[in-house]
Amino acid sequence: MLILLKGGRIIDPVNERDEVGDLWIENDRIIAAPDGKQPDDVHDVSGKIVMAGAIDIHSHIAGGNVNTARLLLPEKHQNRLPYPPALPFSTAKWSTFETGTIYAMMGFTTVIEPAIVPHQSLQAHFELADIPIIDKGMLTVLGNDDFLLSLLRDGEGPAAVADYVASALAASNGLGVKCINAGGATAFKYNERSFSLDDVVPFYGLTSRQIVEALQRAVIDLKIPHPLHLHANNLGIPGNVSTALATIEAARGEPLHLAHLQFYSYGSEGDRGFSSAAAELAAAVNKAPNVTVDVGQVMFRQTVTISADVLRQFNGAAMASPRKSVIHDGDGNGGGIVPYFYRDTDFANTVQWACGLELFLLIDNPWQVFFTTDHPNGAPFTTYPEIFALIMSKDTRAEALSRLPQEAIAMTTLPSIAREYSLGEVAVMTRAAPAKLLGLKDRGHLGEGAVADIAVYTPGDDIAKMFRFAHLVFKDGDLVVRDGRVRHYRWGKALKVSPGYDKAIDRRLAGYYDSHFGSSRDMFAVKEHLLPRAESFQEVACA
Amino acid sequence: MSEARVDGKPASLEAAAERAAEILSQARLPVISGLGTDVAGARASILLAGKLRGAYDHMRSAEIFADLDVMRQSGLMYTTATQARLRADVFLLVGRDLLHVWPEMMERLAPADIPSLSLAREPRKLLWIAPPRGFKTQGLAAETLDAPDLHTALAALRACTAGRPVACSKEMRRKLDSFAEVIKKARFGAAVWSPSSLDALSIEMLHGLIRDLNQTTRFTGLPLGTGANASGAVHVSGWMTGFPVRTSFGRGYPEHDSWSFDALRMVESGEADAALWISAYDGEAPPWKRNLPLVALVSPKAVFAREPQVRIEVGCPGVDHDAAEYERESASIVARTASRPSDMPTVETVIGEIAKRLGGDA
Repeated sequence: MLILLKGGRIIDPVNERDEVGDLWIENDRIIAAPDGKQPDDVHDVSGKIVMAGAIDIHSHIAGGNVNTARLLLPEKHQNRLPYPPALPFSTAKWSTFETGTIYAMMGFTTVIEPAIVPHQSLQAHFELADIPIIDKGMLTVLGNDDFLLSLLRDGEGPAAVADYVASALAASNGLGVKCINAGGATAFKYNERSFSLDDVVPFYGLTSRQIVEALQRAVIDLKIPHPLHLHANNLGIPGNVSTALATIEAARGEPLHLAHLQFYSYGSEGDRGFSSAAAELAAAVNKAPNVTVDVGQVMFRQTVTISADVLRQFNGAAMASPRKSVIHDGDGNGGGIVPYFYRDTDFANTVQWACGLELFLLIDNPWQVFFTTDHPNGAPFTTYPEIFALIMSKDTRAEALSRLPQEAIAMTTLPSIAREYSLGEVAVMTRAAPAKLLGLKDRGHLGEGAVADIAVYTPGDDIAKMFRFAHLVFKDGDLVVRDGRVRHYRWGKALKVSPGYDKAIDRRLAGYYDSHFGSSRDMFAVKEHLLPRAESFQEVACA
Repeated sequence: MSEARVDGKPASLEAAAERAAEILSQARLPVISGLGTDVAGARASILLAGKLRGAYDHMRSAEIFADLDVMRQSGLMYTTATQARLRADVFLLVGRDLLHVWPEMMERLAPADIPSLSLAREPRKLLWIAPPRGFKTQGLAAETLDAPDLHTALAALRACTAGRPVACSKEMRRKLDSFAEVIKKARFGAAVWSPSSLDALSIEMLHGLIRDLNQTTRFTGLPLGTGANASGAVHVSGWMTGFPVRTSFGRGYPEHDSWSFDALRMVESGEADAALWISAYDGEAPPWKRNLPLVALVSPKAVFAREPQVRIEVGCPGVDHDAAEYERESASIVARTASRPSDMPTVETVIGEIAKRLGGDA
């Protein structure tokens, strides 16, 4: 099958292309213009924008905590719309089927679930397998697990830690390593109610900093493309910018990804002791090229916070709206589900909203800052189109600002910022940079040999509309979306890494599970033959 | 070897699937019930319910919703059996039937052992409200409280723990106070219950006690749940439709209502006019008395008062074939390797055979 996309504006920062031209697809790949061959299909895309499929690096779309949130809030996702027979369950709100459908409509073709503890990984892969169209992957959560903390306490050294990390990735089929409030969930089991970078985990005598450094080292030693993906301490607390700044320092110049930085960009200025420190934090990011961040933008609406930072979720449960929450002291991190309503009349929520936009606009390098809402923690991913409009148009921002509490806006620098993202910068932030960050050489660009994951948009004054309903979306060369509607399902892969390691650690782990859990570690391994489709995985090379 | 029967007579799997497809596609509102199957079987069942625009339910729903209704009305704090075993310095056991629901409980929670991850390195304390008849403490640091009415006992314990007055005998008050002292001093306590002996109100009361205790210390719940992979089916249903079992596709989208889509009620009231009953673990028969066209995917052990129109024998997950199912100890979906692999078909396979005979997008 040979397809020609004719005469669109091709925006491909990796190949330094921003020009009107043609794009050729043969089967599942992008190819150079073939000599003298006639295409089987021609799409006239003149006047349209052609980009690679978008990649979301941090969106909670699967796993036990997400599923518990679904079950906690049946009243918040009642259905009204029947689904077409060819797209079973595609209109079922918050189902895996709807997730893939909506992502595809927006031109997203790869999405990463960033928080799966090893014991939940089989369920997570079942859920990912039922997300249609897109490719996906998950990050394996370590850093509150007794085995790791015991290795560190006993001074076993970087090689043992790296072997353990690699073994955990192999069993869970993860794409990278996530660490969530390192040691904090464990400290909470010992009744600690706050936990910072240099606080000590009871029983183990380790600081959060030591755990982060050890995991960061292991990821580097194993040559895993994606740097350690860190959810830092003190999320959501006034004045926590000091923790974020200290965590950037703690990276010591080595690669580190800081998740949903918006939730750490708070000062404690003003009458209410709550202010934006996003400008200061953005300046620190600008000076730390080893660090990448994603934003975790807040939008005003009902949502639910889902986090394996069980300490933070316990402390936040008093703010639950509606007033119910789930706190799980699980193996490793566990998790907490706290529904929350961000209100545009609320002082703190307005500051949070502004903080996110300040980070987007004040971090200079679009290769360093990633487009997320920490779905659904800051807002559901369905709000992405509105956020594109806010960062691409200062008029849209001014209009939004005019409707918000001015005493809250006064605690931010947002009104003074004139920057507008260009389409090229959006293509970097949502395509090129995520592919680089995750080590996905086959996507994020439109060069010869790339996977034919392509999004075609109709530009217009309504930026949100442009990004909500893609004109065309190809996944692996298959036209899955036309005029903002999914035409048919197909089934993507889960991306994973398989760094090499000394298998002796597996024997140790088998003994550990036998003595500590009284069970077999093998039952937590993700076995591909149990999943609904064959060839569910695609391996991403470690350097 | 698997057996299939149509109207009581031996049939091939293909012929049985053909007849099953006929029965289910001709129904106005079919219900898929039982759902005693692994993750793959539950997933196939829900896809089939979608195709048929039918409803689905699980045979253990009464117990599922005792816990789930409390969670979705007021929330939940819980842990895994493994964490309880490694950390808990106090077990608060509630109800007579825990050892019946979880025969390995004492072995797995190991109350006689010092919890290996606790700071204090002291022996655990075990409190049991409404212990089973003849329960012996057997050298454990155990106290028991006989409670004919669990709800009142839990309410009284919660009140005593909060320092509030309670109307009861002095002897009872002394007992409650001693229980309250132990749980307040717990560093990481775990309350263990099963929804087969606690109703939703009692579970909510117990959970209120857990929340109160967390104002100063750590205490959490260890719900034992129920069998036949009920939690597994609820999770599968959750990600596929957004809702737990007792969901219908009658309107062309999933709609959840734990009264409307109770399979037993649907059958007895005549709302459902055909049923697919699935019981791959122990071959339990459906609970209803009314006669309606029935397709049964069951373990060979199954015995029916009235022969189903179609009966297809299926393998037991984790015994006859590899399977994924919910595990109580880790509160997660785990992989089970077949303990006695056989060529008995899986529920997923049989439903696939039925689904492909429905034709079109029926």
